[in-house]
Amino acid sequence: MVAFTEEMVDVGGTKVHTLKGGSGEPLLLLHGAGGNTGWLGFADALAEKYTVYYPSHPGYGKTDRPDWLETIPDMACFYTWYLESLGLEGVRTIGFSMGGWIASEITAMCNHSIGKLMLVGAAGVKPNDAEITDIFIISPAQVLDLMYHNPSQVPEYQQLYGTDLTPEQAIVAETNREMAVRLCWKPYMHDPRLTSLLQRVTIPARMVWGRNDAIVPVECGEIYKKAINGSDLVVIDNCGHSPQVEKPDEFVKTALDFLA
Amino acid sequence: MSLDVYYFTEMPYHHIDDDLAEQWPSLRLTFPNSYFDPNKATDLFKRYLDEFQYAEESGFQGLMINEHHNTPSCMDVEVNITGGILARLTSKAKILMLGNMLPTSDNPPRLAEEIAMLDVISGGRIISGFVRGIGVESWANNTNPVYNRERFEECHDLIIKTWTTPGPFRWEGKHYQYRAVNPWMVPVQKPHPAGWVPGTGSPETVEWAVKHRYTYAAFLTELSRAKELFGSYREQAVQQGWEAGPDKFAFMICAHVNETDEKAQESGKAFMWRMGHPLKGPREYWAPPGYFSQAGVAANAARRQRPMNELSYEELQEHNHLIVGSPDTVIKKLRHIKEELGIGSLLLEAQGGPLSHEDTMRSIRLMGEEVIPALQD
Repeated sequence: MVAFTEEMVDVGGTKVHTLKGGSGEPLLLLHGAGGNTGWLGFADALAEKYTVYYPSHPGYGKTDRPDWLETIPDMACFYTWYLESLGLEGVRTIGFSMGGWIASEITAMCNHSIGKLMLVGAAGVKPNDAEITDIFIISPAQVLDLMYHNPSQVPEYQQLYGTDLTPEQAIVAETNREMAVRLCWKPYMHDPRLTSLLQRVTIPARMVWGRNDAIVPVECGEIYKKAINGSDLVVIDNCGHSPQVEKPDEFVKTALDFLA
Repeated sequence: MSLDVYYFTEMPYHHIDDDLAEQWPSLRLTFPNSYFDPNKATDLFKRYLDEFQYAEESGFQGLMINEHHNTPSCMDVEVNITGGILARLTSKAKILMLGNMLPTSDNPPRLAEEIAMLDVISGGRIISGFVRGIGVESWANNTNPVYNRERFEECHDLIIKTWTTPGPFRWEGKHYQYRAVNPWMVPVQKPHPAGWVPGTGSPETVEWAVKHRYTYAAFLTELSRAKELFGSYREQAVQQGWEAGPDKFAFMICAHVNETDEKAQESGKAFMWRMGHPLKGPREYWAPPGYFSQAGVAANAARRQRPMNELSYEELQEHNHLIVGSPDTVIKKLRHIKEELGIGSLLLEAQGGPLSHEDTMRSIRLMGEEVIPALQD
């Protein structure tokens, strides 16, 4: 296992709790609506090749919430500042779910922040046929039921969900959920401008989706692929919304292939 | 000490039986509207509006109306429409709108002019209740629950300014922006119609009511909880240098009167429909993420040990959520509530669920003839 540290990165007075580990070129991981998963196997494997930065978004976990930050484009703007604060540019970035939406907004907003873009089960674009599941109107337990195609194949399932939340963890989970509502309520989990803006993106981009994603349909991956010139879409069979957690080996392999 | 008694019904579409209701997670929000028969609703509106008129004739000092969306439990979907009907159908009763849902409104000056128009038509009989709307309304109107309280407060401030500041003026707020606030219609009552706010326990709501010196109406809370909330109101008022009289306190409760206790216990069972499925539903429907503050969550936890829909008919009566009986029995219980709470207004939900027109009219008559006069001493 690669050692990781916890740092508070100062971005214009906002302290961003960041897990950092590994060595090599920087790699930014942007978590989904539920919050930072912690240093799981996939992050560890990526840290074998890269210096992984895995921040908790503003309003999530131990990171402050600046009052002005209310939308995903606000969040994207914030992350360009975060990268500047770290002195980083052209950073390889993987965005998961809502974090994928943030990552694509960053690339649409700023042509030098991100060097390679990988979107995993990413929200942000509106599917034509199916719908993005409304995770706010169902309970966290129901969201978990939809998260994985087959929970028994999730290697870290017990570590992630095996014990009841402590009261402190429950407050963090509720605060994270509230932040997601703040950011993504309406239009729900997408930005109508995004596909048009993504036409300016010229960096390499790869979409990774679980074939059985029950939260953000694979169709969204196809829409992203069409919107970003030269991008490709890798679909992982027998896999739900979080390939990095449900099929970490396959996920890491395709990620490292792409990022190299 | 006098007591203003208000007649209230949610105007339920009660043609939904328990077997059907049980097939869905809730009667609220997602219960399919294909079960709605508009022709049945026409008949229901006729009788409910007749009952409101009869309540005024029978001696109720006020009529209370409210608003909900996506639910058969309340057919009133726009309190200002019903307010307009009652403004013209009645001549002396106060019309308590409790109330307009501020956070779900995108147009506060429009609300201000609608309420002003009702005040003008009714000759100054409007009481303007301001509500946040229960969680379900955030979903039904698709208004971000995280901003519910912010929007409530800004919408309120703009309405009050619209009523009290000669136009035109500009408003550049966080949630609302206007170039020329200048509605032709302003209220009869000066400086503006009385403001009321309902609450079930959020400490922020009590604080806000004190700040504006509004009447705080406790809705279906335990007597002990209402006492605490009113006590907190009184203390905060004193800290701010004024004394809150009975006019600042109202209590809402379901009530039904029949000729004898026995008959009342039988006919009053109709209220169990209202206390049942309309109060059920997933947590997310009632409390979307962000709707309650941490303090509000704690207050909710303290509010009741068991949800009302799990209480039996007898328990609902023991806990003073529902008062049923002969005039004498009901007088005794309501006097107790009046004295315990020091309230100036009592809001009686006197029609609920499938309570028939005949039972409702008799109950209204007996309240007017016997109960209301007995509560005035």
